[in-house]
Amino acid sequence: MYTKGLKCRECGREYPKEPLYVCEYCFGPLEVNYDYSKIKKKLSKELIASREKNLWRYRELLPIDGEPIAGLQSGFTPLVKANNLAKELGVKELYIKDDSVCHPTLSFKDRVVSVAISKSKEFGFDTVACASTGNLANSVASQAAQAKMNCFVFIPADLELGKVVASLIYAPKVVAVEGNYDEVNRLCTEIANKYKWAFVNINIRPYYAEGSKTYIYEIVEQLGWRAPDNIVVPVAGGSLISKIWKGLKELKMLGFIDEPNDTKVATLELEHLRPSTKIYAAQAKGCSPVVTAIKENNEIIKPVKPKTIAKSLAIGNPADGYYAFKTVIESGGWAEDVTDEEIVEGIKLLARTEGIFTETAGGVTVAVTKKLIQQGRIKKDELTVISITGNGLKTQEAVSSKLDKIIKIKPNLNSFENEIKNIS
Amino acid sequence: MVKKKLVKKVVKLVFPQELIKEPVTFKMAKKYDIIPNIRRAKVTETTGELVLELDGEEKNIEKGIKYLIKLGVDVEPIEGDIVD
Repeated sequence: MYTKGLKCRECGREYPKEPLYVCEYCFGPLEVNYDYSKIKKKLSKELIASREKNLWRYRELLPIDGEPIAGLQSGFTPLVKANNLAKELGVKELYIKDDSVCHPTLSFKDRVVSVAISKSKEFGFDTVACASTGNLANSVASQAAQAKMNCFVFIPADLELGKVVASLIYAPKVVAVEGNYDEVNRLCTEIANKYKWAFVNINIRPYYAEGSKTYIYEIVEQLGWRAPDNIVVPVAGGSLISKIWKGLKELKMLGFIDEPNDTKVATLELEHLRPSTKIYAAQAKGCSPVVTAIKENNEIIKPVKPKTIAKSLAIGNPADGYYAFKTVIESGGWAEDVTDEEIVEGIKLLARTEGIFTETAGGVTVAVTKKLIQQGRIKKDELTVISITGNGLKTQEAVSSKLDKIIKIKPNLNSFENEIKNIS
Repeated sequence: MVKKKLVKKVVKLVFPQELIKEPVTFKMAKKYDIIPNIRRAKVTETTGELVLELDGEEKNIEKGIKYLIKLGVDVEPIEGDIVD
């Protein structure tokens, strides 16, 4: 029992531990409020190290009261030292946090959904739902099946069936809404308000979002309890990037990060803490409301109509856009966007140098990292982590027409050797 | 007599620079008989943002929102975009 309840991120009003997501006074988003003094007494690096290698090894910093029932194999993905890519980009220390192999559905969403499903069961829900066309739907459908919960996935009706196969296989109810994304959104909010269902990214959102913090906890632990100098993070709704910042602050508050020139921190108030890591926001040029706000130093995010191949980042009106903006500014980082061509080049570069096939969001972070190094914002002797949040097998259409041609030969050695000669 | 359907709707308005000084919310409220309740507001040099609860007849609220969009105000549901 390490959570006190919920708290409005705007006005600070407190709420009980219930499936609520918006402040009834100022309509600000609600966030989980922890009892950090209690956590500080219990949690230690040694205790964490003694636990199984999954995201629940940090369970005191996650918003469930009982035993987790989902994600028991999720998280603790590889932190790959990317020497080949580092050499190519001209930096000394570069790492890939590789959630393209997160269990069970090969994306970072398995973290947040693990927490959402566990919390939904705790609340007594028997049905989980989400509005999604991609990674989130895959993870909710898979983990609901394992948790023996009913599952509804809402999609726009004009979506190609191929895009929902990776969800349909787990036998959720897929509801195709005759309308655009905005209308799907609106309907889901109405359904969430009326039916007693757990919509992971609506009424369970404050709990769900906390799962993102495990991404940075793992990075710090895998670096030997050291915070990276820089981390490049993809931005869609803005939740991951702001939770990475929150996670770093929590680790600093608990005294788990050894930072150079650090003075011991006594406060339990996260807002007074400033971790040394610089956070960089990465978006596609065809949908970059947060990057634009940061470059213009304007904290009001102007919504845009998305037009990019990076579908998993195509959120024109990011719910946590302001908090993403605040994270980057507070940390002293920066933001960059890249074209669709640069995204494809980023995917190919990571595959060619490190043998990792990422989806378009990963292409965005790799290409943005390259840009930031060229600009001199990321220094050559610093330790940088690139966030890879999804698997390339899911978005093959983004690169399939831009790859080398296959070599066709007759079934004899002569034909093979003739072709080989042409290549070399 | 047809019964009027009264609803409450929460929206976030983002104003471009040229509209910050204009009383567009007041005009919309007056024109369509809507009661706006301001819950949160923020204005920077170049943009304004307003979180409003609109109270009125459903058809009028729809018309009021269309009026704002026509003037160049961006109108978004408060939940933001939840399709992940």
